[in-house]
Amino acid sequence: MASGQQWVLVEMVQAFYEAPAYHLILEGILILWIIRLLFSKTYKLHETYKLTEREKEDLIEEWQPDLLVPLISKDHPSLKYNIVSGPPSHKIIVNGKECINFASFNFLGLLDNERVKEKALMSLKKYGVGTCGPRGFYGTFDVHLELENRLAKFMKTEEAIIYSYGFATMASAIPAYSKRGDMIFVDEAACFSIQKGLQASRSFIKYFKHNDMEDLERLLKEQELEDQKNPRKARVTRKFIVVEGMYINTADICPLPELKKYKNKAV
Amino acid sequence: MTESSSTKLLNGDACRRTLNGKNASKNGYVKNHCLFQQSQKYSRSGEKKQNATHNPSLYKKPFMEYFEETPLLVAVLTYMGYGILTVFGYLRDFLRHWNIEKCHVARERDEQKDFVPLYQDFENFYTRNLYMRIRDNWNRPICSVPGAKMDLVERVTHNYNWTFEHTGKVVKDVINMGSYNYLGFAENTGPCADAAIEVTQKYGAGVGSTRCEMGNLDIHEELEELVARFLGVESSMAFGMGFATNSMNIPALTGKGCLILSDELNHASLVLGARLSGSTIRVFKHNNMQSLEKLLRDAIVHGQPRTHRPWKKILIVVEGIYSMEGSIVRLPEVVALKKRYKAYLYLDEAHSIGALGPNGRGVVDYFGLDPRDVDIMMGTFTKSFGAAGGYIGGKKELIDYLRSHSHSAVYATSMPPPVAQQIITSMKTIMGEDGTSLGTDRLRQLSENTNYFRRRLREMGFIIYGNDDSPVVPLMLYMPAKIGAFGREMLKRNIGTVVVGFPATPIIESRARFCVSAAHTREMLDTALEAISEVGDLLQLKYSRREKPLPSLGWMSEESLLQD
Repeated sequence: MASGQQWVLVEMVQAFYEAPAYHLILEGILILWIIRLLFSKTYKLHETYKLTEREKEDLIEEWQPDLLVPLISKDHPSLKYNIVSGPPSHKIIVNGKECINFASFNFLGLLDNERVKEKALMSLKKYGVGTCGPRGFYGTFDVHLELENRLAKFMKTEEAIIYSYGFATMASAIPAYSKRGDMIFVDEAACFSIQKGLQASRSFIKYFKHNDMEDLERLLKEQELEDQKNPRKARVTRKFIVVEGMYINTADICPLPELKKYKNKAV
Repeated sequence: MTESSSTKLLNGDACRRTLNGKNASKNGYVKNHCLFQQSQKYSRSGEKKQNATHNPSLYKKPFMEYFEETPLLVAVLTYMGYGILTVFGYLRDFLRHWNIEKCHVARERDEQKDFVPLYQDFENFYTRNLYMRIRDNWNRPICSVPGAKMDLVERVTHNYNWTFEHTGKVVKDVINMGSYNYLGFAENTGPCADAAIEVTQKYGAGVGSTRCEMGNLDIHEELEELVARFLGVESSMAFGMGFATNSMNIPALTGKGCLILSDELNHASLVLGARLSGSTIRVFKHNNMQSLEKLLRDAIVHGQPRTHRPWKKILIVVEGIYSMEGSIVRLPEVVALKKRYKAYLYLDEAHSIGALGPNGRGVVDYFGLDPRDVDIMMGTFTKSFGAAGGYIGGKKELIDYLRSHSHSAVYATSMPPPVAQQIITSMKTIMGEDGTSLGTDRLRQLSENTNYFRRRLREMGFIIYGNDDSPVVPLMLYMPAKIGAFGREMLKRNIGTVVVGFPATPIIESRARFCVSAAHTREMLDTALEAISEVGDLLQLKYSRREKPLPSLGWMSEESLLQD
């Protein structure tokens, strides 16, 4: 074993003698450079930016935050809400005066319907008021499941899901499907809840003019061109069109049959 | 000294009690591992000690929180379990892909087959292969009031949890350890229900408009005034949904150029609200005051990233009780920090309002602090009050600003009348204003139940996380198969429990979570404890390697003598 090693050593020494001169000189210079780097003093760029404890304390003392909320004037209209006493149905008592109600969303007049109230009372007597838990942990009642089945039949879809807060429905549903990197085409007059959902989803948003199908077509064609340039990315980018049935901001209806056409064309 | 005997190290791992004033140099609770850095977890060289500036004078009574370290063997077996499940998952996916096995996963319609798929196959790997196997432990439908005992709808599955069918039978009188019914107000008889019935008959079931339009009933005004009185703040505002309270009001309070310091384990609503606001978010370690202080100092000294401009505001976001850990926030220290560094404090008392404190006023009451120290007190009515919705309380300027700028006040429908009435009645009961002592009785019953339940579970040898006074009791299961087994075995013994796994918890720390309620009687708790012990022996869940504590009564009295 030892002789094998010595053998190799002899070979090494021999190779050393036989090597060309420039090779040895180059290696020697490199070795000297490495030794110099190893032993030179380290020079930290950030050394100059370190603050002393005293300076830090001063900065902390000096810093003043803004007020938590900016002051609003005492006459801001939102500070005085109208107080409604009595049931909000067709006639409504606002601030003590009886008025005809053109303000609540009561399209079918069911807010004051006797049968609805009777059933609500029956369920209150059976289940109490609150559910005391999320859907996953004993917060699912048989009435929830029944409602979902009926909604699915009513809307002629396969299944339905219910949320307890109307605003949260759109704001949760959009980010559930559309993630970062996906494409959403939205009508300009979309309601606030949709806007929050879009913000939460972090996808690319493109607005088209309200109820303007040509504008939408133009955007879709542009997107198609982009896709052809980059087919790989297009294969993983989902595209969505978000519209409202009846717009709360402008009170008109979306043109659904034409949208169906665009949906199938824009693959 | 009793002190040293109780903190003796056993077998290399330990659980240290953090009593204020006792371990002068080694204070601070012991969570031995960062939740997402698993390599350091099993260093036997001892726990990571947080050298706390744990100021004993801030706490009026001992703050005892335990987070026992995961035993090494259990951790290894858990990883192995997940590994085997992953291998099987790939095998099943392969079989499904080649149509050897029938596929139940939702598929696109034929016309849309060439659309970009809605879900990448890989994203759903966990859901398809691990969650589906034990899916019957969640979303269990009930058909009675979710009180101390409930009736479950029986359901069977013929294809391994892909679809469920209701047999039509009802499992009666299941002890409910899962609903957030801390004070027992989930009832369909009694003064709360009667008042709600009256209001439904008078006002109808819905409102049909937003707060700033025609949706502001006189009940809402009464409710807000009552909530402000209950909390001890100047004024308050109520919203229709607890989750939405957070996600819609944090964006109104902070914006670009502000900093949000939020705890690691904050609820999804707080995280969503912080994200939607557009501020910079920095996360500090769970309940760790040194981490928070360091972040505060760095933030003020260095300012905004890259431009170094000073921050406009700093908002510290914490929760009263963390529902997955059962730990209580160190509020006195947070308030001291906030005063020193001039930050604002947002306290989310979703679980702790009504459940903690001698008067039920939440975590501020529990520590005996001044409610005016907390800038924004937020809470929900779902848990202790048996209703639905959330509130925010604070100074008058804050609430006035929220009335005009909050998204919920302007765009979302207001709270339905029966729900508002339920809150009013239950809050008056807790405050004692209805003339009976029902409120104080229930508060006392809840704290007795909590202490009893936790003590018994700890004596049996389970690993329980969290603070001694919190009614949320997480019991560690660790292994994936035990999640399903525990839920099903407990249901066989007529006890409804909640089991939680990834992604709500870190992947190896799956747990069962019990919610103690004032409606539970001692007999119900005993039945439940017996069943838990039986199942624990069957599944070998008694992992705790701490020494059994001495009988608590004698020990506590000795300790109080030593406390100066």
